[in-house]
Amino acid sequence: MPTQEEVFEKVRGALVEALGVDEEEVTPQATLVGDLGAESIDFLDILFRLQKAFNIKIPDKELLPQDILTNPEYVVDGRVTDAGIAELRKRMPFANLDSFAANPNVQDLANLLTVADMCRFVESKLATAG
Amino acid sequence: MRLEHKIALVTGGSRGIGRAVVQRLAAEGAEVAFVYQSNREAADALVAELAAEGRTVRAVQADVRDAEQAQQIVDDIVARHESLDILVNSAGIVRDGLLGAMTAEQWREVIETNLFGAYHYCRAVAQQMMYQRRGSIVNLSSTAAEFASRGQVNYAASKGGIDGLTRGMAKEFAPRGVRVNAVAPGMIDTDMSKVVRGLVGARLNDIIPLRRIGTPAEVAAVVAFLAGDDAAYITGQVFRVDGGLSLGGY
Repeated sequence: MPTQEEVFEKVRGALVEALGVDEEEVTPQATLVGDLGAESIDFLDILFRLQKAFNIKIPDKELLPQDILTNPEYVVDGRVTDAGIAELRKRMPFANLDSFAANPNVQDLANLLTVADMCRFVESKLATAG
Repeated sequence: MRLEHKIALVTGGSRGIGRAVVQRLAAEGAEVAFVYQSNREAADALVAELAAEGRTVRAVQADVRDAEQAQQIVDDIVARHESLDILVNSAGIVRDGLLGAMTAEQWREVIETNLFGAYHYCRAVAQQMMYQRRGSIVNLSSTAAEFASRGQVNYAASKGGIDGLTRGMAKEFAPRGVRVNAVAPGMIDTDMSKVVRGLVGARLNDIIPLRRIGTPAEVAAVVAFLAGDDAAYITGQVFRVDGGLSLGGY
Protein backbone atom coordinates (compact mmCIF):
# COMPACT_ATOMS: atom_id res chain seq x y z
CA MET A 1 0.00 0.00 0.00
CA PRO A 2 1.64 3.28 -1.05
CA THR A 3 1.98 6.11 1.46
CA GLN A 4 -0.18 9.23 1.22
CA GLU A 5 2.80 11.07 -0.19
CA GLU A 6 3.34 8.45 -2.90
CA VAL A 7 -0.33 8.61 -3.82
CA PHE A 8 -0.13 12.40 -4.07
CA GLU A 9 2.98 12.18 -6.27
CA LYS A 10 1.27 9.83 -8.73
CA VAL A 11 -1.99 11.76 -8.73
CA ARG A 12 -0.02 14.94 -9.39
CA GLY A 13 1.84 13.20 -12.23
CA ALA A 14 -1.45 12.10 -13.80
CA LEU A 15 -2.90 15.60 -13.53
CA VAL A 16 0.19 17.24 -14.97
CA GLU A 17 0.13 14.89 -17.96
CA ALA A 18 -3.61 14.95 -18.53
CA LEU A 19 -4.19 18.66 -18.03
CA GLY A 20 -0.86 20.11 -19.11
CA VAL A 21 -0.54 22.09 -15.87
CA ASP A 22 2.65 22.81 -13.92
CA GLU A 23 3.53 20.67 -10.92
CA GLU A 24 3.37 23.69 -8.61
CA GLU A 25 -0.25 24.31 -9.56
CA VAL A 26 -1.27 20.86 -8.31
CA THR A 27 -1.77 21.54 -4.62
CA PRO A 28 -4.04 19.44 -2.42
CA GLN A 29 -6.55 22.31 -2.23
CA ALA A 30 -6.63 23.00 -5.98
CA THR A 31 -9.99 22.22 -7.60
CA LEU A 32 -9.75 20.08 -10.71
CA VAL A 33 -12.21 22.09 -12.78
CA GLY A 34 -11.84 25.63 -11.43
CA ASP A 35 -8.12 25.79 -10.69
CA LEU A 36 -6.66 23.18 -13.02
CA GLY A 37 -9.06 23.65 -15.94
CA ALA A 38 -10.27 20.06 -16.26
CA GLU A 39 -13.16 19.47 -18.67
CA SER A 40 -15.47 16.49 -18.31
CA ILE A 41 -13.58 14.48 -20.95
CA ASP A 42 -10.37 15.02 -18.98
CA PHE A 43 -11.77 12.96 -16.12
CA LEU A 44 -11.69 9.91 -18.41
CA ASP A 45 -8.08 10.64 -19.21
CA ILE A 46 -7.16 11.25 -15.56
CA LEU A 47 -8.84 8.03 -14.40
CA PHE A 48 -7.11 6.03 -17.13
CA ARG A 49 -3.73 7.43 -16.08
CA LEU A 50 -4.49 6.62 -12.45
CA GLN A 51 -5.45 3.07 -13.38
CA LYS A 52 -2.12 2.67 -15.15
CA ALA A 53 -0.12 4.36 -12.39
CA PHE A 54 -1.64 2.28 -9.59
CA ASN A 55 -2.51 -0.82 -11.57
CA ILE A 56 -6.15 -0.81 -10.42
CA LYS A 57 -9.51 -0.76 -12.20
CA ILE A 58 -11.65 2.32 -11.68
CA PRO A 59 -15.08 2.45 -13.34
CA ASP A 60 -15.55 6.11 -14.37
CA LYS A 61 -18.94 6.38 -12.66
CA GLU A 62 -17.32 5.89 -9.26
CA LEU A 63 -15.62 9.26 -9.15
CA LEU A 64 -18.71 11.21 -10.20
CA PRO A 65 -21.87 9.10 -9.84
CA GLN A 66 -23.63 10.31 -12.98
CA ASP A 67 -26.48 7.86 -12.36
CA ILE A 68 -27.45 9.91 -9.31
CA LEU A 69 -26.99 13.23 -11.09
CA THR A 70 -29.34 12.17 -13.90
CA ASN A 71 -31.91 10.43 -11.72
CA PRO A 72 -35.17 12.44 -11.42
CA GLU A 73 -35.63 10.87 -8.00
CA TYR A 74 -32.54 12.71 -6.79
CA VAL A 75 -32.47 15.83 -8.96
CA VAL A 76 -35.36 18.29 -9.21
CA ASP A 77 -35.13 21.54 -11.18
CA GLY A 78 -31.38 21.19 -11.55
CA ARG A 79 -30.82 20.80 -7.81
CA VAL A 80 -29.89 17.66 -5.91
CA THR A 81 -32.53 16.72 -3.32
CA ASP A 82 -31.76 15.82 0.29
CA ALA A 83 -32.12 12.16 -0.59
CA GLY A 84 -29.69 12.73 -3.47
CA ILE A 85 -27.18 14.41 -1.17
CA ALA A 86 -27.42 11.49 1.23
CA GLU A 87 -26.81 9.09 -1.64
CA LEU A 88 -23.86 11.16 -2.89
CA ARG A 89 -22.29 11.18 0.57
CA LYS A 90 -22.58 7.39 0.61
CA ARG A 91 -21.01 7.03 -2.84
CA MET A 92 -18.40 9.78 -2.49
CA PRO A 93 -17.00 9.37 1.03
CA PHE A 94 -13.70 10.76 -0.24
CA ALA A 95 -15.17 14.22 -0.97
CA ASN A 96 -16.30 16.96 1.40
CA LEU A 97 -19.79 17.76 0.17
CA ASP A 98 -20.78 20.26 2.87
CA SER A 99 -20.47 23.37 0.72
CA PHE A 100 -22.19 21.60 -2.19
CA ALA A 101 -25.05 20.55 0.12
CA ALA A 102 -25.61 24.22 1.06
CA ASN A 103 -26.30 25.10 -2.60
CA PRO A 104 -26.65 21.83 -4.50
CA ASN A 105 -26.73 22.90 -8.15
CA VAL A 106 -26.16 19.69 -10.05
CA GLN A 107 -23.75 21.44 -12.45
CA ASP A 108 -21.47 22.43 -9.58
CA LEU A 109 -20.62 19.00 -8.22
CA ALA A 110 -17.68 18.35 -10.52
CA ASN A 111 -16.35 21.84 -9.77
CA LEU A 112 -15.91 20.99 -6.11
CA LEU A 113 -13.54 18.08 -6.49
CA THR A 114 -10.06 18.90 -5.26
CA VAL A 115 -6.72 17.19 -5.71
CA ALA A 116 -6.99 16.01 -2.09
CA ASP A 117 -10.39 14.44 -2.88
CA MET A 118 -8.80 12.66 -5.83
CA CYS A 119 -6.03 11.32 -3.57
CA ARG A 120 -8.57 10.06 -1.01
CA PHE A 121 -10.55 8.48 -3.85
CA VAL A 122 -7.46 6.61 -5.05
CA GLU A 123 -6.60 5.54 -1.49
CA SER A 124 -10.11 4.13 -1.04
CA LYS A 125 -9.75 2.21 -4.31
CA LEU A 126 -6.37 0.88 -3.28
CA ALA A 127 -7.79 -0.23 0.06
CA THR A 128 -10.57 -2.22 -1.62
CA ALA A 129 -8.21 -3.58 -4.30
CA GLY A 130 -5.72 -4.72 -1.69
CA MET B 1 7.44 3.54 -45.30
CA ARG B 2 4.65 5.86 -44.24
CA LEU B 3 3.16 3.71 -41.46
CA GLU B 4 6.29 2.06 -40.14
CA HIS B 5 6.14 1.31 -36.38
CA LYS B 6 2.41 2.06 -36.32
CA ILE B 7 0.12 -0.43 -34.63
CA ALA B 8 -3.24 -0.81 -36.37
CA LEU B 9 -6.55 -2.53 -35.73
CA VAL B 10 -9.03 -3.09 -38.56
CA THR B 11 -12.53 -4.50 -38.12
CA GLY B 12 -14.16 -6.46 -40.92
CA GLY B 13 -10.69 -7.19 -42.22
CA SER B 14 -11.06 -10.49 -44.01
CA ARG B 15 -13.18 -9.37 -46.96
CA GLY B 16 -14.00 -6.50 -49.27
CA ILE B 17 -12.76 -3.03 -48.42
CA GLY B 18 -11.53 -4.11 -44.96
CA ARG B 19 -9.28 -6.70 -46.55
CA ALA B 20 -7.82 -4.11 -48.92
CA VAL B 21 -7.25 -1.82 -45.93
CA VAL B 22 -5.34 -4.55 -44.08
CA GLN B 23 -3.22 -5.14 -47.18
CA ARG B 24 -2.52 -1.46 -47.68
CA LEU B 25 -1.70 -0.65 -44.05
CA ALA B 26 0.62 -3.67 -43.88
CA ALA B 27 2.26 -2.70 -47.18
CA GLU B 28 2.95 0.74 -45.72
CA GLY B 29 4.72 -0.83 -42.77
CA ALA B 30 2.05 -0.97 -40.06
CA GLU B 31 1.73 -3.95 -37.77
CA VAL B 32 -1.90 -4.94 -38.23
CA ALA B 33 -4.42 -6.96 -36.24
CA PHE B 34 -7.77 -7.43 -37.92
CA VAL B 35 -11.12 -8.66 -36.70
CA TYR B 36 -13.23 -11.05 -38.76
CA GLN B 37 -16.58 -12.48 -37.87
CA SER B 38 -16.95 -15.86 -39.50
CA ASN B 39 -14.83 -16.45 -42.58
CA ARG B 40 -11.82 -18.10 -40.99
CA GLU B 41 -10.57 -19.40 -44.33
CA ALA B 42 -10.45 -15.92 -45.84
CA ALA B 43 -8.80 -14.55 -42.69
CA ASP B 44 -6.14 -17.26 -42.63
CA ALA B 45 -5.49 -16.79 -46.35
CA LEU B 46 -4.92 -13.06 -45.84
CA VAL B 47 -2.54 -13.64 -42.93
CA ALA B 48 -0.62 -16.19 -45.01
CA GLU B 49 -0.52 -13.93 -48.07
CA LEU B 50 0.92 -11.04 -46.09
CA ALA B 51 3.28 -13.26 -44.09
CA ALA B 52 4.75 -14.40 -47.41
CA GLU B 53 5.52 -10.75 -48.11
CA GLY B 54 7.20 -10.43 -44.72
CA ARG B 55 4.36 -8.51 -43.08
CA THR B 56 3.20 -9.14 -39.51
CA VAL B 57 -0.56 -9.45 -39.50
CA ARG B 58 -2.80 -11.15 -36.94
CA ALA B 59 -6.41 -12.26 -37.32
CA VAL B 60 -8.86 -12.26 -34.39
CA GLN B 61 -12.33 -13.77 -34.56
CA ALA B 62 -14.98 -11.56 -32.95
CA ASP B 63 -18.47 -10.21 -33.38
CA VAL B 64 -18.19 -6.41 -33.53
CA ARG B 65 -21.52 -6.12 -31.74
CA ASP B 66 -19.84 -7.41 -28.59
CA ALA B 67 -18.46 -4.47 -26.56
CA GLU B 68 -16.57 -6.65 -24.11
CA GLN B 69 -14.77 -8.47 -26.88
CA ALA B 70 -13.83 -5.13 -28.42
CA GLN B 71 -12.24 -4.00 -25.16
CA GLN B 72 -10.43 -7.32 -24.74
CA ILE B 73 -8.99 -7.13 -28.24
CA VAL B 74 -7.80 -3.57 -27.71
CA ASP B 75 -6.35 -4.38 -24.26
CA ASP B 76 -4.52 -7.33 -25.76
CA ILE B 77 -2.96 -5.19 -28.49
CA VAL B 78 -1.88 -2.57 -25.95
CA ALA B 79 -0.42 -5.30 -23.71
CA ARG B 80 1.59 -6.62 -26.66
CA HIS B 81 2.72 -3.34 -28.20
CA GLU B 82 2.17 -0.73 -25.49
CA SER B 83 0.38 1.42 -28.02
CA LEU B 84 -2.36 1.50 -30.62
CA ASP B 85 -2.03 4.12 -33.33
CA ILE B 86 -4.71 3.34 -35.89
CA LEU B 87 -8.26 2.02 -35.77
CA VAL B 88 -10.22 1.38 -38.96
CA ASN B 89 -13.88 0.50 -38.48
CA SER B 90 -14.70 -1.37 -41.64
CA ALA B 91 -17.06 -4.11 -40.45
CA GLY B 92 -20.40 -3.65 -42.14
CA ILE B 93 -23.35 -5.55 -43.54
CA VAL B 94 -26.43 -4.95 -45.66
CA ARG B 95 -29.87 -6.42 -45.09
CA ASP B 96 -31.77 -4.63 -47.84
CA GLY B 97 -35.52 -4.36 -48.10
CA LEU B 98 -38.19 -1.73 -48.72
CA LEU B 99 -39.14 0.01 -45.51
CA GLY B 100 -42.72 -1.23 -45.64
CA ALA B 101 -41.48 -4.79 -45.62
CA MET B 102 -38.37 -4.36 -43.49
CA THR B 103 -38.40 -6.37 -40.30
CA ALA B 104 -37.13 -4.98 -37.01
CA GLU B 105 -34.52 -7.72 -37.15
CA GLN B 106 -33.17 -6.43 -40.50
CA TRP B 107 -33.05 -2.93 -39.07
CA ARG B 108 -31.46 -3.97 -35.79
CA GLU B 109 -28.83 -6.24 -37.31
CA VAL B 110 -27.53 -3.51 -39.60
CA ILE B 111 -27.56 -0.76 -36.97
CA GLU B 112 -25.94 -3.01 -34.37
CA THR B 113 -23.19 -4.20 -36.69
CA ASN B 114 -22.43 -1.03 -38.63
CA LEU B 115 -23.05 1.65 -36.02
CA PHE B 116 -22.80 -0.01 -32.60
CA GLY B 117 -19.80 -1.97 -33.87
CA ALA B 118 -17.94 1.24 -34.72
CA TYR B 119 -19.02 2.78 -31.42
CA HIS B 120 -17.75 -0.19 -29.40
CA TYR B 121 -14.32 -0.05 -31.02
CA CYS B 122 -14.08 3.76 -30.88
CA ARG B 123 -14.90 3.60 -27.20
CA ALA B 124 -12.47 0.75 -26.61
CA VAL B 125 -9.51 2.68 -28.08
CA ALA B 126 -10.49 6.14 -26.84
CA GLN B 127 -8.76 6.15 -23.47
CA GLN B 128 -5.58 4.55 -24.76
CA MET B 129 -5.30 7.00 -27.67
CA MET B 130 -6.09 9.91 -25.39
CA TYR B 131 -3.44 8.62 -22.97
CA GLN B 132 -0.91 8.48 -25.81
CA ARG B 133 -2.02 11.89 -27.12
CA ARG B 134 -1.82 10.19 -30.49
CA GLY B 135 -4.15 8.15 -32.64
CA SER B 136 -6.09 8.08 -35.86
CA ILE B 137 -9.49 6.53 -36.37
CA VAL B 138 -10.99 6.00 -39.80
CA ASN B 139 -14.61 4.91 -40.03
CA LEU B 140 -16.09 3.42 -43.17
CA SER B 141 -19.18 5.40 -44.10
CA SER B 142 -20.94 5.30 -47.46
CA THR B 143 -22.34 7.72 -50.02
CA ALA B 144 -25.61 5.98 -49.09
CA ALA B 145 -25.62 8.13 -45.94
CA GLU B 146 -26.33 11.22 -48.05
CA PHE B 147 -27.78 9.95 -51.32
CA ALA B 148 -30.93 7.91 -51.10
CA SER B 149 -31.37 4.44 -52.54
CA ARG B 150 -34.52 2.39 -52.34
CA GLY B 151 -34.34 -0.58 -50.01
CA GLN B 152 -31.46 0.64 -47.88
CA VAL B 153 -32.98 2.78 -45.13
CA ASN B 154 -31.28 0.70 -42.46
CA TYR B 155 -27.88 0.86 -44.15
CA ALA B 156 -28.25 4.59 -44.88
CA ALA B 157 -29.25 5.27 -41.28
CA SER B 158 -26.27 3.32 -39.96
CA LYS B 159 -23.87 5.20 -42.20
CA GLY B 160 -25.46 8.56 -41.40
CA GLY B 161 -24.83 7.62 -37.80
CA ILE B 162 -21.20 6.90 -38.64
CA ASP B 163 -20.83 10.41 -40.07
CA GLY B 164 -22.24 11.92 -36.87
CA LEU B 165 -20.09 9.69 -34.67
CA THR B 166 -17.03 10.71 -36.69
CA ARG B 167 -17.63 14.45 -36.41
CA GLY B 168 -18.65 14.40 -32.76
CA MET B 169 -15.80 12.21 -31.63
CA ALA B 170 -13.35 14.26 -33.70
CA LYS B 171 -14.39 17.37 -31.83
CA GLU B 172 -14.16 15.71 -28.41
CA PHE B 173 -10.77 14.16 -29.00
CA ALA B 174 -8.95 16.69 -31.18
CA PRO B 175 -7.49 18.56 -28.18
CA ARG B 176 -6.10 15.21 -27.00
CA GLY B 177 -4.21 14.50 -30.23
CA VAL B 178 -6.65 11.95 -31.63
CA ARG B 179 -8.04 12.40 -35.15
CA VAL B 180 -11.26 10.83 -36.39
CA ASN B 181 -12.28 10.80 -40.05
CA ALA B 182 -14.49 8.76 -42.33
CA VAL B 183 -14.33 7.52 -45.88
CA ALA B 184 -17.56 7.23 -47.83
CA PRO B 185 -17.19 4.85 -50.77
CA GLY B 186 -19.62 4.92 -53.67
CA MET B 187 -20.00 1.88 -55.91
CA ILE B 188 -17.08 -0.43 -55.15
CA ASP B 189 -16.33 -3.87 -56.54
CA THR B 190 -17.12 -6.01 -53.47
CA ASP B 191 -19.49 -8.87 -52.64
CA MET B 192 -21.59 -6.43 -50.64
CA SER B 193 -22.42 -4.24 -53.61
CA LYS B 194 -23.11 -7.14 -55.98
CA VAL B 195 -26.88 -7.01 -55.59
CA VAL B 196 -27.15 -3.27 -56.19
CA ARG B 197 -24.75 -3.49 -59.12
CA GLY B 198 -26.87 -6.27 -60.53
CA LEU B 199 -30.04 -4.20 -60.21
CA VAL B 200 -28.61 -1.09 -61.85
CA GLY B 201 -26.82 -3.11 -64.53
CA ALA B 202 -24.96 -1.53 -67.43
CA ARG B 203 -26.38 1.92 -66.66
CA LEU B 204 -24.00 2.12 -63.74
CA ASN B 205 -21.03 3.23 -65.80
CA ASP B 206 -23.13 6.05 -67.29
CA ILE B 207 -24.14 7.29 -63.86
CA ILE B 208 -20.57 7.40 -62.50
CA PRO B 209 -18.63 10.31 -64.01
CA LEU B 210 -15.36 8.32 -63.98
CA ARG B 211 -17.24 5.64 -66.00
CA ARG B 212 -16.40 2.65 -63.84
CA ILE B 213 -16.92 1.25 -60.39
CA GLY B 214 -14.11 1.62 -57.86
CA THR B 215 -11.80 -0.99 -56.42
CA PRO B 216 -11.36 -1.77 -52.70
CA ALA B 217 -7.70 -0.79 -53.09
CA GLU B 218 -8.72 2.71 -54.19
CA VAL B 219 -10.72 3.14 -50.99
CA ALA B 220 -7.92 1.63 -48.90
CA ALA B 221 -5.47 4.19 -50.31
CA VAL B 222 -7.54 7.04 -48.86
CA VAL B 223 -7.96 5.19 -45.56
CA ALA B 224 -4.18 4.75 -45.32
CA PHE B 225 -3.62 8.42 -46.06
CA LEU B 226 -6.03 9.47 -43.30
CA ALA B 227 -4.58 6.92 -40.89
CA GLY B 228 -1.06 8.28 -41.26
CA ASP B 229 0.74 11.47 -40.35
CA ASP B 230 0.34 12.97 -43.85
CA ALA B 231 -3.20 13.74 -42.68
CA ALA B 232 -2.01 15.24 -39.38
CA TYR B 233 -4.13 18.38 -39.82
CA ILE B 234 -7.33 16.64 -40.91
CA THR B 235 -10.05 15.59 -38.50
CA GLY B 236 -13.82 15.25 -38.46
CA GLN B 237 -14.09 14.92 -42.25
CA VAL B 238 -15.99 12.50 -44.43
CA PHE B 239 -14.22 11.82 -47.73
CA ARG B 240 -16.23 10.50 -50.66
CA VAL B 241 -14.42 7.97 -52.81
CA ASP B 242 -17.03 7.49 -55.50
CA GLY B 243 -15.67 8.35 -58.94
CA GLY B 244 -17.76 11.53 -58.86
CA LEU B 245 -21.05 9.68 -58.32
CA SER B 246 -22.19 12.20 -55.70
CA LEU B 247 -21.65 15.18 -57.99
CA GLY B 248 -25.17 14.81 -59.40
CA GLY B 249 -26.33 17.05 -62.25
CA TYR B 250 -26.10 15.98 -65.88
